[in-house]
Amino acid sequence: MADADTATGAGTGPEPEGDVRLAVSGVGKFFGSRLVLRDVSVSARAGEALLVVGGNGAGKTTLLKIMAGLCRPSAGTVDLRVAPEASAYLGHATFLYPRLSAQANLLFWGRMYGFAPSQEAIAAVLSRVGLSRVGDEPAGTFSRGMAQRLNLARVFLIGPKLVFLDEPGTGLDPASQDLLRREIIALKASGAAVVWVSHHLNSDLPLAERVLFLKDTRAAYFGPAEGFDAGGLTC
Amino acid sequence: MAAKDLRLAAGGGQGLVQAVLLGLLLIFLFSLSRPTTELVSPQAAAAIFWLASAFGLVLVFNDLFSLEEAQGCRLGLLSSPVPEHAVWLGKGLAGFALLLLSQAVFLPAAAVFLGQDIKGDWGVLLLALVGVDWGLAALGALLGALAQGQGARESLFSVILFPLLLPVLLGGIRIFAGCFSGEPAMDQALWSGIIVAFDAVFTAAGAFLFPFLYTGEE
Repeated sequence: MADADTATGAGTGPEPEGDVRLAVSGVGKFFGSRLVLRDVSVSARAGEALLVVGGNGAGKTTLLKIMAGLCRPSAGTVDLRVAPEASAYLGHATFLYPRLSAQANLLFWGRMYGFAPSQEAIAAVLSRVGLSRVGDEPAGTFSRGMAQRLNLARVFLIGPKLVFLDEPGTGLDPASQDLLRREIIALKASGAAVVWVSHHLNSDLPLAERVLFLKDTRAAYFGPAEGFDAGGLTC
Repeated sequence: MAAKDLRLAAGGGQGLVQAVLLGLLLIFLFSLSRPTTELVSPQAAAAIFWLASAFGLVLVFNDLFSLEEAQGCRLGLLSSPVPEHAVWLGKGLAGFALLLLSQAVFLPAAAVFLGQDIKGDWGVLLLALVGVDWGLAALGALLGALAQGQGARESLFSVILFPLLLPVLLGGIRIFAGCFSGEPAMDQALWSGIIVAFDAVFTAAGAFLFPFLYTGEE
């Protein structure tokens, strides 16, 4: 098990300022009188994946929402160092309009991010996630796995520099999970910083450069993935 | 946003259909309440028309906001760079268009079932229609966000909405009554001013308050 004393950045060395896409400092969060996060400091760097792990109720999703600006912290600061249109969030919900076709969904989300994607760009991302043949079908007819692939296509279309993933593999078949992992590698290769909440520690840890382990509302470990000992962590 | 909402409303959305059916039912039922030898007064006919419109407004905006709830699209919108004001404006414009569309059915229905004729100035009637509808849509788009995600969405929405809408609804009723009777109300200018003033208040309130209501933490 990772030791809490080694946590909060010890051993990671000074951050190269130009590479940091997100810096979270001393974040805490109350829901009513219940404390769900306490004094969490973490950063995400370009071209790297930060894996956020912890047991149920550890505050992973809350922290991710705070990082993505979807939830206000009760204490601390979040310094987002990319433009709002250069960050993307992918969570449990697929953000799809069931009565719109896959293409129309992508066109709408492109416009919400300030650009009108061309038919070629939409066709390219649909092809990338293996949905070319169903591009003109309503998203409501898609299986969970297909809907999540389309959600992934939405993220690719945006071309983000900072990506928040909240258990994106939930409900996906093995082939879709492989696709997801390949695309996370591709996102990192494109220079994006990936902040990734996952319960699949064994399979996802090798893809991450750094790990944040949340336990009892605190950051029990924040450091290189290579040195992270997951012993005893049941996710 | 508005184009997407109108496309979804036209392609199977229930809000518009329900609004039109409920409005028609109201107009028809009120037409049955008058004695067979008497006509509904222009004032009462105008009130029935705007009552049908107000109920339709609730259904239209419940439908428009429920579009964002099904697959968590509200979170998607909030995580996108689009300002919350743009969501309010898009919903308001879509609701405005759908309300006008439903009133295109209510107006002939009022003429047929309530025995009314437009004897006054069509220009005044249309201006009043647009003015009142914008006030309804601006407030509907604001309060639709307030009621979303609530178990008692419809009732909460209606309870808050109707009292606030009274000034513009009364203005619409007075001006429409004048247009139905052919005798413009003496205080038409006053009611027109009230409608414009409340449109401005509702628009400002919507633009300012919507982000606070729509970004409510889950």
